[in-house]
Amino acid sequence: MSTLQPTLELRGIKKTFGHVSALKGVDLAAYSGEVLAIVGDNGAGKSSLIRTISGVYRPDEGAILVEGEQQAFSNPAAARAAGIATVFQDLALIEVLDVATNMFIGQYPRRGPFVRRKAMEREARAFLDELGVSVASVRTEIGMLSGGQRQIVAIARAMRTGGQVVLLDEPTAALGVRETAQAADMIRTLRERGNAVIVVSHDMSLVFELADSIQVMRLGEVAGVRRRTDTTRDEIIGLITGAITGDRLTA
Amino acid sequence: MKNIVRRIAGAQQLGIILIIVVLLVVAQAANPQALMPSNIVEILRSSALYFIGASAATLVLVGGGLDLSIGSVFAVGGVAAGIAMNAGVPWPLAILLALVVCGMLGLINASLITWVGVPPFIATLGMLFAASGIVIVVTGGTPRFGFPAAFTDLGQLNLFGIPLLVFYAVIIGVLAHVVLAHTVFGYNIRAFGGSAPAARANGIRAAQMNVSLYVISAVVAGLCGVLLAARVATADPGAGGTGFAFQVLAAVIIGGTSLFGGVGTIAGTALGALLFAVINNTLALTNTNPQWQNVATGVILVTAVAVDHLRRKRRFAVRSA
Ligand SMILES: Nc1ncnc2c1ncn2[C@@H]1O[C@H](COP(=O)(O)OP(=O)(O)OP(=O)(O)O)[C@@H](O)[C@H]1O
Ligand SMILES: [Mg+2]
Repeated sequence: MSTLQPTLELRGIKKTFGHVSALKGVDLAAYSGEVLAIVGDNGAGKSSLIRTISGVYRPDEGAILVEGEQQAFSNPAAARAAGIATVFQDLALIEVLDVATNMFIGQYPRRGPFVRRKAMEREARAFLDELGVSVASVRTEIGMLSGGQRQIVAIARAMRTGGQVVLLDEPTAALGVRETAQAADMIRTLRERGNAVIVVSHDMSLVFELADSIQVMRLGEVAGVRRRTDTTRDEIIGLITGAITGDRLTA
Repeated sequence: MKNIVRRIAGAQQLGIILIIVVLLVVAQAANPQALMPSNIVEILRSSALYFIGASAATLVLVGGGLDLSIGSVFAVGGVAAGIAMNAGVPWPLAILLALVVCGMLGLINASLITWVGVPPFIATLGMLFAASGIVIVVTGGTPRFGFPAAFTDLGQLNLFGIPLLVFYAVIIGVLAHVVLAHTVFGYNIRAFGGSAPAARANGIRAAQMNVSLYVISAVVAGLCGVLLAARVATADPGAGGTGFAFQVLAAVIIGGTSLFGGVGTIAGTALGALLFAVINNTLALTNTNPQWQNVATGVILVTAVAVDHLRRKRRFAVRSA
């Protein structure tokens, strides 16, 4: 396992906002065909970490490596071009635009300067059907969908962009039972496709159901990284709350 | 068939089409010349410049922006071309020069908005004042004239009995429609206007969008100024102004473009511009005090936005704020 090259690797990432030190030297390794869950209390720095990887924030210090190559993302477009697809916590969907357009924003099928609308709708439809996602029409505006349906569309979009690394920030927050199961299926599909998947979640059942590895964040630092098969819920919760002292050695 | 009926009935612009038809019927009843081809051509001619300006303004509003400065950039366009021609610059070059000057003003608007973070309303309001002041200072407030016939022909000649101005409007309108509805740039405009943070997270560059939109807006406003100068053979430093800016914005909004960005069509804008021309024309043919035009503009503007708001609220149920 450790002999393999990580698809995505972070080394000593630091990020401060004014006086707040959101990330204090974070390491991370995500491997192809594996799900890495990131857990931690509110304000632990999970979203900051995701935003840094996806090019929304620039780290103050540290290195981001994709397939062993060091990268510096000056914006989200650069991260996407390097194969990093993200489902943000606040979704980043556009309510006044339809499902098909939202699934292809920034990457429309095109002929010269023109968007191939029919091809786009056909592909969006086929893609959602394949995932078993129930959306009446790909011409439906996002604003008319339920919160759960929107989340599913957001995940579908990240899957469609086909990056090697897929980041999901709390993909099942506010989802019903059916949509949570659907989102879990989609994440498994990503793993089977050989993507390196990073999921931020507060849902321990989901984490233990899906993850290959679990990385615990605490106050902007890595409190520990565990293989799911070598740990228990109690240990993870202890690391989250600080009841078990963090060990930087496993990171 | 049923589908078509439903589509027409559901069309946002149905109300405007109805008002236009009613006005034409009233005008025809009062004056049998109303529906003569010559009067229809006059309606089209008088809406041409507004429609050209409104096409660009539609792109800006759909992109989540606002450009009030088109009023004085209009004057900059005409006056700059006039000064250049008076100085002996050949007319095609003079037009080009005028459009470049206007484009620079658009670039200043975009820079203030993108890099300084000034809200579009303030940045372009500032430009509205500043540019109109500069035009007056540079010209001393006196109009320029004495242009070559080839230049004034651009605004005065007819083709098949229809003014060239109408052809320009159609060409620019079709172009704007194709860009907005079918190109990657148009999709990006709608995404950026629909939600700038979401668009950015998906790789759309804010700077690139703002620069494109405000430069297009300024160049087109300047072009309108140049065309008016050609039509009346005079470059008036007081041309355009807030009257032009607000008429154009009213036409765009009545045509169904949202002030909040993301939503709007050139077809709707064309109807909005046409509506104003028909109102004016009907008032003239029925010998009504032309001041009623302002009253009608105000009432229709507010009604259009209110109706749109209610429709949207119903469609999106509780969800949309
Ligand atoms: N843009 C920002 N400006 C200032 N402070 C920020 C910013 N983003 C994050 N922070 C701060 O950084 C810290 C980590 O926040 P972050 O959103 O990464 O936490 P999180 O682990 O995702 O929490 P949650 O579980 O609530 O989503 C918090 O103290 C937060 O207030
Ligand atoms: Mg978060």
